[in-house]
Amino acid sequence: MASARRTRFLLYIAALVLTLVNLAPIIWIALTAFKNRAQIYQIPPVWIPDFAYLDNFITVIQGYWPFLLNSVVITLCSTALCLLIAIPCAFGLTLFTFKGREDLKMWVLSNRMMPPIAAAVPLYLAMRGVGLLDTWTGMVLIYTGFNLPFAIWMAMSFFRGAPVEVLEAARIDGCNWLQVLVKVMVPMAAGGLMTVAVFVFLFAWNELLIALFLTNRNARTFPVILTSFSGQAQTVWEQMAAASIIQLVPPVILTFFVQRHIVAGMTMGAVK
Amino acid sequence: MVSRTTKLLFIGPGVAYLAIIGLFPFFYSLYLSTTSLNLTRPRRSQFVGIDNYVQLVTDPLFQKAILNTAILAMGSIALEIVIGFLIAKIFYEIAHLRTVDWLRTLFILPMMVTPVITGLMFTYILNPTLGVANVLLRMVGLPESGWFGSVDVALLSVIMVNVWQWTPFLMLIMLAGLMAVPRELYEASALDGAHWYQQSWHIELPALRDVLLVGAIIRLIDNLRFFDVVYIATRGGPGDATEVISMFAYRQSFQFFNMGYGSAAAVLILFITLFVTTLAMRYLRRVEHG
Repeated sequence: MASARRTRFLLYIAALVLTLVNLAPIIWIALTAFKNRAQIYQIPPVWIPDFAYLDNFITVIQGYWPFLLNSVVITLCSTALCLLIAIPCAFGLTLFTFKGREDLKMWVLSNRMMPPIAAAVPLYLAMRGVGLLDTWTGMVLIYTGFNLPFAIWMAMSFFRGAPVEVLEAARIDGCNWLQVLVKVMVPMAAGGLMTVAVFVFLFAWNELLIALFLTNRNARTFPVILTSFSGQAQTVWEQMAAASIIQLVPPVILTFFVQRHIVAGMTMGAVK
Repeated sequence: MVSRTTKLLFIGPGVAYLAIIGLFPFFYSLYLSTTSLNLTRPRRSQFVGIDNYVQLVTDPLFQKAILNTAILAMGSIALEIVIGFLIAKIFYEIAHLRTVDWLRTLFILPMMVTPVITGLMFTYILNPTLGVANVLLRMVGLPESGWFGSVDVALLSVIMVNVWQWTPFLMLIMLAGLMAVPRELYEASALDGAHWYQQSWHIELPALRDVLLVGAIIRLIDNLRFFDVVYIATRGGPGDATEVISMFAYRQSFQFFNMGYGSAAAVLILFITLFVTTLAMRYLRRVEHG
């Protein structure tokens, strides 16, 4: 028994080391964000910088806050709109029976296969046609659409687990279907729906390709700004690092928030 | 029981929205791919039939992009599965210990990192002159590398970065798969004198088969649309060393505004994706039904 405990202890140490190694690139960028210009080019490198040096963060926020705001607004609005449309749809697809329901579900899922690059040109031309190029509205509408298949599919997997008797009891008490959804189903599936919201949020927050050519100056999102940090004649590494850390704050916090549901979220419920 | 109107009010908006934003781009891309649309030319676009596709198949750069995408996908997925499995085993053995939940969440953080940031981070870390990777190599006496800038190593570097970001995903779903294996199976086989590698082969791998298939499909779809990291770190270069199909389609449509040709490439990517996923899902369903 003693040797089994020692093995487990060693394995724990191994897991700890592997985790540290895995996080090393992120840690290195976080350290870089606190360095000044001269320290960036120092060799051997400065391992531990002065954490009171916040100039890089201040410069980035002062210089790029409108784009950060764009990202926040577009991400939050598209997450809200997506849930607003997806939740009733998933509710209907789970509880109501009709001809062709299974085919409709599969079609919803198949929309998920659409690579962004394949939708990019038509969306660009369409948005230009209706004058929504480079606007918050245009980006919100598109991100909502891209997230719908995932959101509907995920919400269905959480709704399926709800006890039907409770829903029927609510019907007998005189609730209409909308009340059943809002007063009974949504509270019961709240945890799962939060997970859906987090993944929808993260997709919009992290998205680059669509934003790259559908936004120009007014609605440009933060990831697009980030691309401008690479490939310049002289990259401002310390600002790039600070901007990266700012961009990473929501994903990191939300990961801890949904840690138990990540597998279900990443596989759309195929693996629980 | 439930009126048609009710059903329509619940399901209608979502389906209509998807029809507009899913079906419209699909058919419009199909249409564009049969035209010579180029936004930089004053000439009106013309119907060219399958000319774009014929040109694509014979375009050496597109062939290279297909090859690179295939290498990227297979190399990444294979490494992610092997490394992910070993790490999943470690986390499985210590799963009941305190604080392991936290450790696991920390371990999987890379997969939540914005892909743009992944590209930027490694552009800096793997920078040949001031990147920390070469500094560390020098410290332990190994030869330095040109990483993204070297024709021979660039694609391998992209794969490495891809593996860094997504091994946690494979590890996580395999861990979920391992957790679902009944304890008694292990105990029975241990009584029969099975070694750990025999257990892995006869008990774990069959149990993980479905999980792995789901994981591999998802990663395959990801790799077929792989764009952000290449866009940031290499732009497909040096030369065409890291040109992938999404990069190719992007360049045609939005750099050369050659949208007919770019659309043809995009439609091919879509069809490859649909073909592969349909095959895999059909297989999955057959497995599910026995």
